[in-house]
Amino acid sequence: MLHVQNRELVIPGQLLAEGSYLLYGGAFKEGKNVYSSVVGLAEVRGQDIRVIPLQGCYIPQRGDFVIGVVVDKHSSGWILDLNSPYAGNLFVSSLLDRKVDLDREDISQYLKMGDVVAAEVADVDERMRVLLEASGPGMGKVTGGKLMEIAPTKIPRVIGKKGSMSAMIQDTSGCRLRAGQNGRIMIWGNDPRMVRAVVEALLMIEREAHTSGLTDRVHQFLEKIKSGGE
Amino acid sequence: MEKPEKLIVDGKRLDGRGPEELRPIKIQAGVLKRADGSAYIEVGNNKVLAAVYGPREMHPRHLQQPDTAVLRCKYNMAPFSVDDRKRPGPDRRSVEISKVIREAFEPVVFTKLYPRSGIDVFIEILQADAGTRTAGINAAAVALADAGIPMRDLVTSVSVGKVEDTIVLDLIKEEDQYGTTDMPVAMLPRKKVITLLQMDGHLTQEEFERALALAMRGCEQIYETQKAALRAKYATKPEGE
Amino acid sequence: MYEIVSSVKRDYIADLARQNKRTDGRTLDQLREVSVETGLIKSAQGSALVKMGNTQVLAGVKIEKGEPFPDTPDSGVLIVNAELRPIAAPTFELGPPNENSIELARVVDRGIRESESIALDKLSITSGEEVWMVYIDLHALDHDGNLLDASSLAAIAALWSIKKPEIEGWTLDEFPIQKKPIAVTVAKIGDKLMVDPSLDEENVMDARLTIATTEDGSICAMQKGGTGYLTVEEIKAAYELARAKAAELREHLK
Repeated sequence: MLHVQNRELVIPGQLLAEGSYLLYGGAFKEGKNVYSSVVGLAEVRGQDIRVIPLQGCYIPQRGDFVIGVVVDKHSSGWILDLNSPYAGNLFVSSLLDRKVDLDREDISQYLKMGDVVAAEVADVDERMRVLLEASGPGMGKVTGGKLMEIAPTKIPRVIGKKGSMSAMIQDTSGCRLRAGQNGRIMIWGNDPRMVRAVVEALLMIEREAHTSGLTDRVHQFLEKIKSGGE
Repeated sequence: MEKPEKLIVDGKRLDGRGPEELRPIKIQAGVLKRADGSAYIEVGNNKVLAAVYGPREMHPRHLQQPDTAVLRCKYNMAPFSVDDRKRPGPDRRSVEISKVIREAFEPVVFTKLYPRSGIDVFIEILQADAGTRTAGINAAAVALADAGIPMRDLVTSVSVGKVEDTIVLDLIKEEDQYGTTDMPVAMLPRKKVITLLQMDGHLTQEEFERALALAMRGCEQIYETQKAALRAKYATKPEGE
Repeated sequence: MYEIVSSVKRDYIADLARQNKRTDGRTLDQLREVSVETGLIKSAQGSALVKMGNTQVLAGVKIEKGEPFPDTPDSGVLIVNAELRPIAAPTFELGPPNENSIELARVVDRGIRESESIALDKLSITSGEEVWMVYIDLHALDHDGNLLDASSLAAIAALWSIKKPEIEGWTLDEFPIQKKPIAVTVAKIGDKLMVDPSLDEENVMDARLTIATTEDGSICAMQKGGTGYLTVEEIKAAYELARAKAAELREHLK
């Protein structure tokens, strides 16, 4: 028996349902009852229940596209800050896609402290050690552009269904956008005004991710700036 | 502070309340930018700010737990928060309060979801008028939820005491100082179980049971204010509507 | 703990600076939105909450009886203390005051003390034995850059907010505050100077110069910070900026 409606705002400890439901995150069972563990939107599909958190940190998962910052190095690679309690390990062979003779090559020529790297999470073990892969197309060191951070829970909204929101932002603004699952977003554009407009649009999405009609509002906002409005 | 002649006159306390009335409470969620979660609370003349950072990488490394997050709590009073200026820095009272507050939250936070990390709760008392630890707990619960930290329930807290033979709810400074008993309580509002209980003074068993029941009723009311504060943050109307 | 600033962020800020622009759209000589709220802490004789953008500092003034310093037996005592506690930023750690909180407290102190904003000679009770101690406690609540200017403004606003203190033994009609020193921090990025650095700008700047001025433009405190250097021209230009911005900030004390 359901106690909440779909897309209803719930809080930790709130009773969602009684009975045999399958839980998919943001919720837990006690006896026959299902409760929310976070502040979020309840989502019910048949016998599946989950709560989409409105806030929360990024936990790396295999396959995630992330944007990391080099914060440390070791003899065969670097440690990247992922805007998460868990840092990522990038071996130099995963950056260059070839074996590296550490006695011959000085790997510090490839990445320095503070460099920004687009990467994919290759593996996460049970101790939450994260292995990164950065040799694929579109990966590796990132230069130019603006880097910003929003709550990782809002990234799906920035990307949109089948990439629709992110595509719309890029088309309307003329800027290029790449959003990492870890809440970091790179923006490239020739017009600083439009880059700032995209930043504002992304902050708007972060604030209003839980509302409807957002895609239209963001589109209207960007159109207004493009045509010279404030 | 001079001792008032009487603390309760004709069923009315010094601030006009009846014995089972709470002080006015105001809670706002998400008031700080840097912290992952935050809340500001006013309970009577108490002004308290709570902030949560985490889960985040845990320093120092040797305190990391391999299979769980480590929950840490720091309660601190600003030097200007009390009548006689308090010297900055931890004192024994703050250390004890920090511990019991942490233990009030340990049963509810899903720490096993974040191995090797740390979850830090900071409670800053900006203005004090008795009941700072309970106000701090009420704010910290909202701050933890605001940070998106998964919990089994919120934690709600209030103090009860005995003043001139009357069991009273939510003590003020004078009642704390000149009454006979002070008993802070924290409860999980859903399961109605107790996660903080301290007492100093004198109570018969019967008085204690009445006091505890009164505290739990008070907590139920405060719980409504906490829930409202969390919902209010997301009730903002989007621009253009 | 310290913040690592990504190279992308560093380049972006430096690039914009070369074009006299800033990441939040401000001009180089523009302050963030400022608000000053006074009298909010009743347990303090004076208090002020200052917001500069997202940076928030709360100052409380407590006045208590105490012993004078032996070499100034007829003078009240001013003590400024700053707490940069972990609530305000993930990089702040618990423990005794570190060099940043000590520097902040001492620079704020200098601005108030050297301008003789408080007539300390009016705060004596019994010569050589008992005087009024004025404690200014600065409590950082949210660090988004430029805690120094926010703290300095909060301190002076808190002093001016003191109505006749209701403390036992207080005989003066009002609290003897007579000047309004305002600190303004100018950050240097590349060869550009900008006021009121945001957190990102602070993490990227080469150097900063904080200048406290009083109403007539005279300087009562200065502090250079950061690992870079300043030319003489830059220092002169910073003074002009600081004086003008101090006048703007002083408006919030009315």
